Amino acid sequence: MANLKDIRTRIASVKSTQQVTSAMKMVSAAKLRKAQDAIIQMRPYADKLNEILSNVSGNLDSDVENKYAERKNKDRILIIAITSNRGLCGGFNSNVVRRTSELLSVTFKEQSKKSKVDVIAIGKKAVDGLKSKGIIVTNSYLDIYEKLSFASVSEIAQSVMDSYAQGTYDHVELVYNQFKNAAVQNLVNEQFLPVKINRTNGVKSRKGKMQSSYLFEPSKQEIVVNIIPQSLKIQFFKAILDSVAAEHGARMTAMHKATDNAFELIRELKLNYNKARQASITNEILEIVSGANAMKS
Amino acid sequence: MYLEIITPEKLLFEGDITIIKLPGTLGYFEIMQNHESIISTLMQGKIKVKETNGIITYFEIKGGLVEVSNNEVKVLVESEDHTNI
Repeated sequence: MANLKDIRTRIASVKSTQQVTSAMKMVSAAKLRKAQDAIIQMRPYADKLNEILSNVSGNLDSDVENKYAERKNKDRILIIAITSNRGLCGGFNSNVVRRTSELLSVTFKEQSKKSKVDVIAIGKKAVDGLKSKGIIVTNSYLDIYEKLSFASVSEIAQSVMDSYAQGTYDHVELVYNQFKNAAVQNLVNEQFLPVKINRTNGVKSRKGKMQSSYLFEPSKQEIVVNIIPQSLKIQFFKAILDSVAAEHGARMTAMHKATDNAFELIRELKLNYNKARQASITNEILEIVSGANAMKS
Repeated sequence: MYLEIITPEKLLFEGDITIIKLPGTLGYFEIMQNHESIISTLMQGKIKVKETNGIITYFEIKGGLVEVSNNEVKVLVESEDHTNI
């Protein structure tokens, strides 16, 4: 059995770790609330934009020429892996890295054999994780989380969309953690480009019936062409916001578990400590008693 | 007439107004009570809003979209100011 002083120092160190993890949990909880607020703030804009987009494009007679549309051959692929800059959040980052390498070796096997798949990493952990798996990272964005704003995110989205429009890529896939609730993150891979438009023919709701009486300025086609890039940027922004919220959720859960584990550890150590203490007391009494007995006889 | 100006990051304005002037792609135009339903794209410029209590507010925008239906104006914009999250 370990001696008393050793156990005492261990208890002290576990206790200070517990303090750190519980503080980190609290910080994550506060950040999570902020990140959730950002998602809620963005929702009215995204909903309205999508509503207008699907209504206008549903009213169109023919397909609109747009540079983000589907192409026949799917030769060059771009995968965008979104993680965080910091660790200590359970499987949050490693899941993204694993899914990315899965995509490379399974879904886009053909293209990656011809080394026609590029990977862009958003977040420090994606760069590190992918590098350790031997995946070449073409480009990385590490500092968007410092000052997260729609403008900075849409710059990245714009550069990706430009390279799609120029024909550098034929398919762009996003890999990120979708925020479900504080404890649950869904790892998803989602098609970013070519653009997917949900067409509603605008008759199902009360609002839908009025659609036909809209005036369109300058024209339906031009409106659609204008909205599509915006809606893509929103999709990208949403993915980033989701990932941020999911990160804090994941860290909160991880830190909660760590705090619980520390608590359990302290309990066990205390039990051992008390056992050791009792044993030493028993020993001392034994010595005194046997000493006294020896004196008597 | 009810107005909402929304950016991807926050709600810039909501309230009852008498008139709004917007930088449409085909030139500035104004919307007053009982305007016909319209969807239009917006260019870079200034939005001028006159509230029912007479206060006039301006918003600088980079571009956007406006939808008017049933005396409800919704303006989706990308504004210049950046908010941190």
